[in-house]
Amino acid sequence: MNRTFSIMSEDPDIGPPLREAGTPQRYEFTDLGLVVNLRPGNDGEPNLAWEWSDEVAWEPKVRMAMSSDTANRYFQGKENVAIAIARRRIKATGDVKAALVIIPLQKPLFARYRQMIEADYPHLEV
Amino acid sequence: MTLDEAAASVGISAATLRRWVRDGVLPEYRGEWTPEVIGQARLVARMRERGHSLSEIRAATEEGRLAFGHVADLFSGNEPALTLRDASRRTGLDAELIERLMTMLGMRTADTLTEDDLELLRYVAAVLEAGLPLEAMLQLTRVYGQALAQIADAEVRLVHLYVHEPLMRSGSSAAEMADELVGLTGSLLPLASPVLDQIHRRMLAHFIEQDVVGHMEAELEDGDGSGVGRMRVAIAFADLAGYTRLTEEEGELHALDVVERFTDAVTVTLPDDARVIKTIGDEVMIVGSDPVALAEWAVGFQALQSERPLPRIAVHYGYALYRDGDYYGREVNLASRVAARSAGGEVLVTRPIVDAVGSELEFDRIGEVRLKGFTAPTEIFLARPRPEG
Repeated sequence: MNRTFSIMSEDPDIGPPLREAGTPQRYEFTDLGLVVNLRPGNDGEPNLAWEWSDEVAWEPKVRMAMSSDTANRYFQGKENVAIAIARRRIKATGDVKAALVIIPLQKPLFARYRQMIEADYPHLEV
Repeated sequence: MTLDEAAASVGISAATLRRWVRDGVLPEYRGEWTPEVIGQARLVARMRERGHSLSEIRAATEEGRLAFGHVADLFSGNEPALTLRDASRRTGLDAELIERLMTMLGMRTADTLTEDDLELLRYVAAVLEAGLPLEAMLQLTRVYGQALAQIADAEVRLVHLYVHEPLMRSGSSAAEMADELVGLTGSLLPLASPVLDQIHRRMLAHFIEQDVVGHMEAELEDGDGSGVGRMRVAIAFADLAGYTRLTEEEGELHALDVVERFTDAVTVTLPDDARVIKTIGDEVMIVGSDPVALAEWAVGFQALQSERPLPRIAVHYGYALYRDGDYYGREVNLASRVAARSAGGEVLVTRPIVDAVGSELEFDRIGEVRLKGFTAPTEIFLARPRPEG
C-alpha cells in the first residue's frame, strides 16, 4: 500500500489534483486491523503524506473501511464504490460530498496499480 | 477590392454599403475594403435582416457587442453553388434523402449546397455503401446533428461568458475585442476536432465492450418482447426531493449548483455498464445492461447521501425501444412513474428487479399501485442494503 500511495502522490495526474482537493482520508483495512491516514502535503512536502496510525495531528474528512481484498479490487478499478456500499463491502462515513470529489480523481490510479500488480504481485490480480 | 465588389460579397447594394460607412456602423473602414470591414458589413447585414435599426447596430458596435461575430468569418466555407439534383448525381444519393439528411444535421438553409456539403454527403454514401442500413444511418445522423449542435452551442456560450463579457467589462475597444476573439478562436479551433475525436474513440471502445457483454448476457435469457430496435435494459430515474422548494427558498443559482453536484455524483459513481441518457432539470435518466448492478448502485448511492435535498430513485427492468440515442416505450414510462412515487432517500423497484437481484439486497413489498397512464397495477418494493451481519 505504501507503493500505491507513493504512486498516488507522485503521478502528475493524481497527486496534484488530490492535494488541491484538500481532503484528508482515513482507510481502515478491517481484516488486517490496519489504519492509514492520508492528507494533502503541506508546502515543501510531496503531494500526499500518510501515517499508518490514528494518532495523527489532523482530522480525516472521509473515512472508508473495507477488507484488504476489497481494497485490492477497488484499486484495480474492479469495485464500484456505490455497489460495494450497497453490499456492505465498503463502509463510507464523513463528508460524502468530499468523497464524491475524490472518486474520479483516483481513477487514473487504477491502470498504474494494475501495472504494479502484474509486475510484482501477480497473485493479487483480479 | 472595389466598392461594387465589396457590396456584392456582402449581398447588398453599393449605395447601402456607402450609407453604412456614413452612419458609422463600419468603423474599421479606412478607405479600403479589407476582410475586417467586409466581415463587419456581413454582421451588420445579418443584424439588419433580424430587424435591428442602424442606430442600435452602431451602439452595439461601439460597445463591442458584435466583436464575437467576426469569429464567424473563420468558419465561412465555400458558396452554395450546387442544386440537390447536382448533389444527387455526384453522390449517388436520392435528392429526397439528401434533403432529409441535411435537415437532420440542421444544415438545410436553401435549395443549394456547397462543395463542403457534397464532401459530407460522399461520406454518408460511403457509410451506406459499406452496409449500414438506411434506418440506422438516419438515426445516427439525427444523433450527430443534435449532439454536435449541443457541443457548438456550449462552446459559443462559454466563450461568450468567460471571454467576451470580461473583455467588454475591461473597457477594451471593439477592434481589440474582435482581434482577441478571432485570435483565441483561431488557436482553439484546430484543437477541437482532435479532442472530440479522442473522446469519441474512447467512448466507442467503452460502449463496444458494454454491447458485447450485454449481448452475451441477453443470449442467456429468454427473448420475449424483443424485436428490431428493442432491447432489455435496466432503467433508473433519479431526481431531488423538494427541488422546487429549494429553488424558491435558496434561489436559482444555488439550486443549479445542487443539481450539478447531484448529476456529477451520479455520473462518477455509476457502474461501468450504465450511463446517463439525459437530464431534464433535476431529473436524471440512466440506462444500463445489468439490473443487479443498477439496483445496487441506487441503494449504495442513497447510502452516500447525507444532505438534503435527498434523491428519489426508481429502478425497473424491461424492454425499451432504442431510437436516436434515447430509450422509449411503456417500460421507460413506467420507471418514470415509479420514481414519482418515491420519497427522498428511497429506492423503489419493480418485480423484475426483485427477481433479478435476489438476495443481495433487501426488499419491502409496498404493494400494487395504479400508476398514471397504466391500466394494470404495478407491484413496487422499497430496496435497501441487507442488514449487517
